[in-house]
Amino acid sequence: MSEGPVKEYYIYSPWLRIFHWVMAASVGVLFATGLYIGNPFFIGTQGVEPTFAVNKLMSMETIRYIHFAAAYILVAGFILRVYGFAVNRGDRLLPKFWTALYWQGVVEMLKHYLFLSADHRPYLRNSLARSAYLGVYVLLFLEAVTGFAMYFMVDPNGFGAKLFGPVNGLFGGEYTVHLVHHYVAWLLAIFVIVHVYLVIRADFMEREGEASSMFSGVKFFAHKPADIGDIADDSDKQTDYGTRHRQYPAQG
Amino acid sequence: MENRDSMWALFQKRGVSRRSFLKTCAVVTGMLGLSPAMLPKVVAAAEKKTLPPVIWLHGHECTGCDEAFIRSQSPLASDVVLNMISLEYSDTLSASAGEAFEHHLKDLMKKYAGQYILAVEGGVPLADNGIHCMTGGRTFLAALKEAAAGAAAIIEYGSCAAWGGIQAARPNPTKSVSVSDVISGKPIVKVPGCPPIPEVMTAVVMHFALFGQLPPLDAQGRPKQFYGNRIHDTCYRRPFFDSGMFVEKFDDAGAKAGWCLYKVGCRGPVAYNSCGNMRWWNGLSYPIQSGAPCFACGSNNFWDNGPFFERLPDIPVPGTIADADKVGMVAAGAALVGVVAHGALSAMQKSKQAKQQDTDVRGPEA
Ligand code: HEM
Ligand code: HEM
Ligand code: SF4
Ligand code: SF4
Repeated sequence: MSEGPVKEYYIYSPWLRIFHWVMAASVGVLFATGLYIGNPFFIGTQGVEPTFAVNKLMSMETIRYIHFAAAYILVAGFILRVYGFAVNRGDRLLPKFWTALYWQGVVEMLKHYLFLSADHRPYLRNSLARSAYLGVYVLLFLEAVTGFAMYFMVDPNGFGAKLFGPVNGLFGGEYTVHLVHHYVAWLLAIFVIVHVYLVIRADFMEREGEASSMFSGVKFFAHKPADIGDIADDSDKQTDYGTRHRQYPAQG
Repeated sequence: MENRDSMWALFQKRGVSRRSFLKTCAVVTGMLGLSPAMLPKVVAAAEKKTLPPVIWLHGHECTGCDEAFIRSQSPLASDVVLNMISLEYSDTLSASAGEAFEHHLKDLMKKYAGQYILAVEGGVPLADNGIHCMTGGRTFLAALKEAAAGAAAIIEYGSCAAWGGIQAARPNPTKSVSVSDVISGKPIVKVPGCPPIPEVMTAVVMHFALFGQLPPLDAQGRPKQFYGNRIHDTCYRRPFFDSGMFVEKFDDAGAKAGWCLYKVGCRGPVAYNSCGNMRWWNGLSYPIQSGAPCFACGSNNFWDNGPFFERLPDIPVPGTIADADKVGMVAAGAALVGVVAHGALSAMQKSKQAKQQDTDVRGPEA
């Protein structure tokens, strides 16, 4: 590929990046402990009475405790995401269904992923990725709501039950809530597989610093990204993208 | 019918002592789920309030709730019927039947219009103009509407009356629905269960009899003090759950030792009822205690949430038996294989492209 001068574009605030890794870690923990909760087993000898087994590493109680702790961390971490959204334009790369650019991007990316076209325009974040991330937040929201609906009903008169208890009625019973929670967990797992793959693939195919962007906050583009308008008002001026940019000498 | 007395008056008529009366009031207070501080109020009400007449209708159901009710232990069903409420009409418990009995019902509804408690057992079939359940030559829907019009309060007794019941299972051929689906504008309380715990029913009736109003209800319209807690959170097998000790099969050592029934499909974690704290038959036992997983008989749609002995239902993938974990594993596996294949193709495409560019710049290799 012909290399123009590669420029650095600052996109993600530290808040978003920290949240991303908090999310990645806690979702991993939640999925693993959740599957255990759904189908528990016991390793080692436990005797006949619960006294001998309770609070061992693989006891249901411990695993559930970890699940709930990770859930609280995930939800608390989301505050960082909201803060990032408020202070940094690069944290607002949502799907803009109402723009032509979004729909062009969908077609373009579908063609690209189906090997019908070798290239696509550079994007800060392409339309499919934008939609997928919005979808993931919806799934996580569902998990949190259904999870807390089950969790808080231990104390049916408590504050948490007042807040989340009605969710059980909304879904037509707590049994359905437990099923939704379980099914959505698998959807998240499948998202993560495809997500991690596409991140690595983008890194390899486009060399725009995709994977490292979630650590450093920056990506590198040789050409102006098609959706640059999302982080810079004046997209015509070559020199004024984002809040920070640097030029690198052209390679090769 | 003229015996509409207060409880205290009834006790006096039968020569029962004041002491026994007070003891009974103490029991009733506990039964109603009230705090001991409420005892004076209960005594006062039991002295003054005349017992409300109760009309008990039966619709689309199996009368299992009756079977449970007549085995009520504390108080004894006979005491309830004879001394605690004035059960004026019940087409399954009465000795009489036929024209005269139906006539009696008409009289009752006229005489006590606006005063009686209407207990309904059974769902209401709506398909084909309601002909799937006929009582006294009329559709149950018509009978119910007539009786409901003059009721002071309505009790939906059992899961059929409260949610539609077993006959409402998919595809619900008779279009069976709950009482509150067809009746509105009256105080209605759900006492679901298949069957409900008889003492719970008695308590709800007594509560209305003594205080003239329904007990506090939860969001789904069930009395809070009996349907507030999860079976799972009141279960005596809970320590086994917390320790990860589960019955795997109904004939294994864990089952014999009384471990938790979670893995054989126990719905305790999503069921709300009093089985765990009140148990059945005077605290004798309840399903989990006898080794049978709870199937949340008091919850809406429990009949469609099968199989009862599995935690997760099968996902209808043609030609297989697989739950969400199996389907999820296969889907995740397919996703993995898919991304690896896609990755390989991508790499091939890229190297082809790179060669192409090489060729463009340098010309075809000699
Ligand atoms: C080791 C694994 C992971 C890597 C390398 C990774 C990498 C990345 C990268 C580079 C981005 C930026 C994407 C872009 O530029 O369009 C991103 C975004 C995102 N990732 Fe991950 N990720 C990982 C795991 C996860 C997990 C487990 C989840 C949660 C289910 C997740 C959810 C998301 C979401 C929701 C975004 C969008 C962030 C936003 O803008 O709000 N990722 N990830
Ligand atoms: C964010 C907040 C979350 C909360 C409050 C939460 C809470 C819960 C609760 C209360 C249970 C039932 C535990 C029990 O019955 O003992 C549960 C089960 C489970 N959770 Fe979560 N969870 C959350 C997020 C997640 C996420 C993100 C995943 C997966 C990616 C997940 C996967 C599971 C699974 C697979 C189960 C087993 C479901 C079952 O069979 O009942 N959870 N969770
Ligand atoms: S037997 Fe059922 S209700 Fe009791 S602890 Fe186990 S899962 Fe919960
Ligand atoms: S243990 Fe569960 S299924 Fe059995 S009677 Fe109680 S609520 Fe119904």
